[in-house]
Amino acid sequence: MEATFEKLTFKKRLKTMLKVDFKRMFTMPLVYILAAVSFAMPILILVMTTMMGGEPDPTTGAEAAVMFTNVWQAISSVSGGESAGMSMDLTTMCNMNLMYFMLAVLVCVFVSDDFKSGYAKNLFTVRSKKVDYVFSKTIVCFVCGAIMIIMFFIGAMIGGAIGGLPFTMEGFTAGGIVACLFSKIFLVTVFVAIFLTFAAVAKQRTWLSILLAIGVGAFMFMMIPMMTPLNASFLHVIMTLAGGGLFAVGLGAVSNVILDKTSLV
Amino acid sequence: MNAIEIRNLTKNFGQKQALQGLNMTVPQGAIYGFIGENGSGKSTTEKIICGLIQPSGGSVKLFGRDYKDADVRAKVGVLIEAPGCFPNYSVWNNMMLQAANLGIENAEEEVRKVLRVVHMEGSASNKYKNCSLGMKQRIGIAFALLGNPTLLILDEPINGLDADGMRIMREVLTDVTKNYNCTVVISSHILGELEKIATHYGIVRGGKMIAEMTAEELNANCRTYVELKAKDMAATKAVLERKYTRVETDEEEYIRIYDGVKAEEVVDYMYNELRIAVTEIKTSKIGLEEYYIDLMKEGR
Repeated sequence: MEATFEKLTFKKRLKTMLKVDFKRMFTMPLVYILAAVSFAMPILILVMTTMMGGEPDPTTGAEAAVMFTNVWQAISSVSGGESAGMSMDLTTMCNMNLMYFMLAVLVCVFVSDDFKSGYAKNLFTVRSKKVDYVFSKTIVCFVCGAIMIIMFFIGAMIGGAIGGLPFTMEGFTAGGIVACLFSKIFLVTVFVAIFLTFAAVAKQRTWLSILLAIGVGAFMFMMIPMMTPLNASFLHVIMTLAGGGLFAVGLGAVSNVILDKTSLV
Repeated sequence: MNAIEIRNLTKNFGQKQALQGLNMTVPQGAIYGFIGENGSGKSTTEKIICGLIQPSGGSVKLFGRDYKDADVRAKVGVLIEAPGCFPNYSVWNNMMLQAANLGIENAEEEVRKVLRVVHMEGSASNKYKNCSLGMKQRIGIAFALLGNPTLLILDEPINGLDADGMRIMREVLTDVTKNYNCTVVISSHILGELEKIATHYGIVRGGKMIAEMTAEELNANCRTYVELKAKDMAATKAVLERKYTRVETDEEEYIRIYDGVKAEEVVDYMYNELRIAVTEIKTSKIGLEEYYIDLMKEGR
């Protein structure tokens, strides 16, 4: 009796891979921890800095500068403003952009777990096309990154309200904030593609992938305020969307080649 | 059509040549016993078949297609070294994840079925990290059996199994090859166990296939011999060498006669014609293990 084989389309393969990855991702405690941190972090930052602002420094006696004068600074900075561009002041650091660093940890742990546990053997024995894996991981990590950004946004709103910071809009509009949020969400794809490539290189060595991801992420970090300012326009959204797509496809292809040409065990 | 056809397979790990032009032919429906010493290239070959490592050269075909063909590879079940499970997941969740990976529609039913086959249905809720070595091997076999594979690659699946586990393994492998037209490649150092199920053998040494044969051919190669002891062993051996062409002394100081003679004939010859009394005599057969050891000795 001759063996017969069912024709597996890309759509079908991706569907099963997505099912596995979503199942895996949402049973990982780290996802919930990072989501909780994303939510709690802006509350803590906004409430603490508001409480400390204006109080005299015990050593110099000078009044400490108020770090956040506006709730929206926790989301991003206004393009052309003091903290925009390449400068790296505290408000640029302690805002939503921190999520991209947390995303690095999530992507690297998620991918290296496949290799550390040996599950990669099960995956790649029945999946000769690595493109399913790369595509699926990109989509799932993008979803998680988007959740983290939304959690941060909600946390910032609550933290701002608790800290009594004003919600006034100076130099930007509500539409700009929405565009900024979308830009930040689409930018996740760029970072996921980069982190995924490093994770594919490092495989079971989680520490190496995190080191590479955060190291390179730090260079990219300086560009985020420029690409996603509070006074973002539709153009920013389109640019980050296109950039995300290009990075996902380009670096996805690189990750695909790495997985295809290197040992998986 | 052959299930696996490997030609001139090479694999280098830096300066080390793990495979040196290995050829391998596994007929469809066979239980192929893949034998060799540690480091002879068995696991490397299996990992290449499964696409887990890349060959340096040569060709690998599965059911007449390139081994990277996605449709064929989707029907390969594998157990290499240890099952790839998440330690903090339960056995059940690990199995369900693999069922999702394989796109099995009635996943729960399938998982229950394979767990029943390996007698693990009672331990489904255990965390994988809390399972014993034997249990992990059974889980690995259940993993490999999920989704009715057409080709099973099992690397040392018997290791860590108790007598019951080995029996189950024999039954399962015989069943899948007979009833589901599945082809099995099984590597093991427990040759006695392998001999009970294998229909074909491949013996590998130093990254090369040194012998491939069917179980029938092996049987023909594994001749019967008469093994005896007498009072004066040296004189007896000298006398026997005059009549028989292949007479040897083994490690336990028995004289072996390989010429296909019967024990009674030897006793008659020795007593009636030479007046030498035989103190101990028996007919034995070279098993796979001895045949394999002989083959390995020949190469050294």
